[in-house]
Amino acid sequence: MGQTMAEKLLSRHNLAKETVKAGDILEARIDGAMCHYHGSEPLHTLAQEMGFKDGMPRVWDTDRVFVLLDHHQPALSQALADENKLMRKVVDRLGIKCFHDAEPGISHQMMADYGLMRPGELVVGNDSHTISYGAINTGGTGIARADMFYALLFGELWFQVPQSIKIVLEGTQPNYPIAKDIILYLAGQHGDDFAGSKSIEYSGPLVSQLSIDSRQCLSAHGVEVGAKFALFPCDDKTLEFLKTRTDKPFEPVAADADAEYVQEIHLNVDTMPFVVAKPNQFGNVAPVDEVRGVKVDQAQIGSCANGRFEDIEIAARMLKGRKVAKGVRFIISPASQQVYLKCLKAGLITQLIESGAQVVTPGCGVCQPKVGYMSDGEVCITSTTRNYKGRKGSLNAEIYLGGPLTVTAAAVAGKIMNPKEVFNEL
Amino acid sequence: MSFDLNKLIRGRVWKFGDSIDTDSINPYYLYPTMEELKKHTMESYRAEFPKEVKPGDILIAGRNFGCGSSRPGLVLREVGIAAIVVESASRLFLRNNIARAIPIFLAPGITGIIEDAQTLEVDYPNGVVRNIATGASVPLRKFPPLIERIFQAGGLPHVARARYLAEVGRTQP
Ligand code: SF4
Repeated sequence: MGQTMAEKLLSRHNLAKETVKAGDILEARIDGAMCHYHGSEPLHTLAQEMGFKDGMPRVWDTDRVFVLLDHHQPALSQALADENKLMRKVVDRLGIKCFHDAEPGISHQMMADYGLMRPGELVVGNDSHTISYGAINTGGTGIARADMFYALLFGELWFQVPQSIKIVLEGTQPNYPIAKDIILYLAGQHGDDFAGSKSIEYSGPLVSQLSIDSRQCLSAHGVEVGAKFALFPCDDKTLEFLKTRTDKPFEPVAADADAEYVQEIHLNVDTMPFVVAKPNQFGNVAPVDEVRGVKVDQAQIGSCANGRFEDIEIAARMLKGRKVAKGVRFIISPASQQVYLKCLKAGLITQLIESGAQVVTPGCGVCQPKVGYMSDGEVCITSTTRNYKGRKGSLNAEIYLGGPLTVTAAAVAGKIMNPKEVFNEL
Repeated sequence: MSFDLNKLIRGRVWKFGDSIDTDSINPYYLYPTMEELKKHTMESYRAEFPKEVKPGDILIAGRNFGCGSSRPGLVLREVGIAAIVVESASRLFLRNNIARAIPIFLAPGITGIIEDAQTLEVDYPNGVVRNIATGASVPLRKFPPLIERIFQAGGLPHVARARYLAEVGRTQP
């Protein structure tokens, strides 16, 4: 019997050097560990609780631990400034070489920007959206600090080999991003945990048309449908993306033709409507026409799902010759400094600001309450990752999730509308 | 804190629905300290929970419990929840709770046999959970030996500590 991508990837990393299949439990060697702000104070405290009074006694490989002060850079409070200071000391003491300290941005995007993970690798991170590394054929998955403590000491961790779901994407990429609509649509059709603990493998004729930005959106959102991995094949676009980012060797992973899947889902995007997730769950999905006319107070583009160049480009393109509706706060946060710079050089930022949008520091802020708190009764439409109650502050604010085009349409119209109604050139 | 899987757990039930997210369990964006978190955990679903939960109570929920961000249920342990019993849990939440030896059990069918405020018994050795009042029961999933060992050790950091000390030939950190 052939192997899925997950089976092959985990077999390669199995310390026992045996082939593993779905359901098996193994101890695996890891290729990289991403620690964002939780790499500092909480891990440090945990190490102290374990009796190591100076904190973590070591990391297994100072080249393979990546520390990024993403969520909290620049420091948004005194407490965070103090934590960041502690983290600098910790990194220094442990001799960790890759430390992105004075640079705002989302850790996952920076990992990609700087080529810190590669196809075929197994990389853990103390954040749920580490799964987004699947976009470039990396077995990325989230853990939390107790697992990270073990992983950092030994470069090893236990895993259960997941079953796999094959998602076959068909149809044609229109001239605007649709990755968010794809994953929301799937969550609406199959439930918000349809990939619970499983590995998603994307395939089909649409895949080669999808940009790396779109793949990162789909892989990031793997966790919103419960997945452990969300993997894309390594193709020409992947290699092109990596060319300027890494010179280290790598061995991509591909599924065998006779690999076994627990489910196969086909989606033809040509017949897919624009969709949104209504408050307060990712799977609470409806065609955008069903919520037509809902007034919005805030619209947002950003996060590790949709803060990339193509997400910001579509907003700028649609805003050309148009204005953000009076009273709507349209907040745009590039996912990283590199993304920001690319947008700036392409003239997108000028367009956005001239049309009345706000462009804020790269990072996680817009995805959390930190940047742009909502008040009671207000409505936000956002391309960020989550719409749980309180995610933007007030428990009585309503959050809709949509793709960057749908968000921009709402920002222009002042209410949720089908983008095709607002932008007749589409 | 090591956790003995073989101990019977009995407690009053708090029942929740499907896809309860970690932003609700652990709303740390809004309340960064444990003291504040204890006053607000789960309030977005049931405002009375943080006020009325008592040590020894059991939390029951539907499918996909703990979806969302990577945050274990430490605050639930802090307010005294003795066991979390769910139809299914999000992969990360399950993993994170195993790593901290926080008692979490998967018992498909659980929401059909018990109502809020009734008493539930979790009998891990016999692989069953029971409604004390009605006698109704459903099986719970046993963990593989590796996971049982993590619970026994009190969580993965304890396993890591022991392995590290053995490697460097010391008995104390
Ligand atoms: S952008 Fe949002 S979901 Fe992504 S890592 Fe940051 S806080 Fe998490």
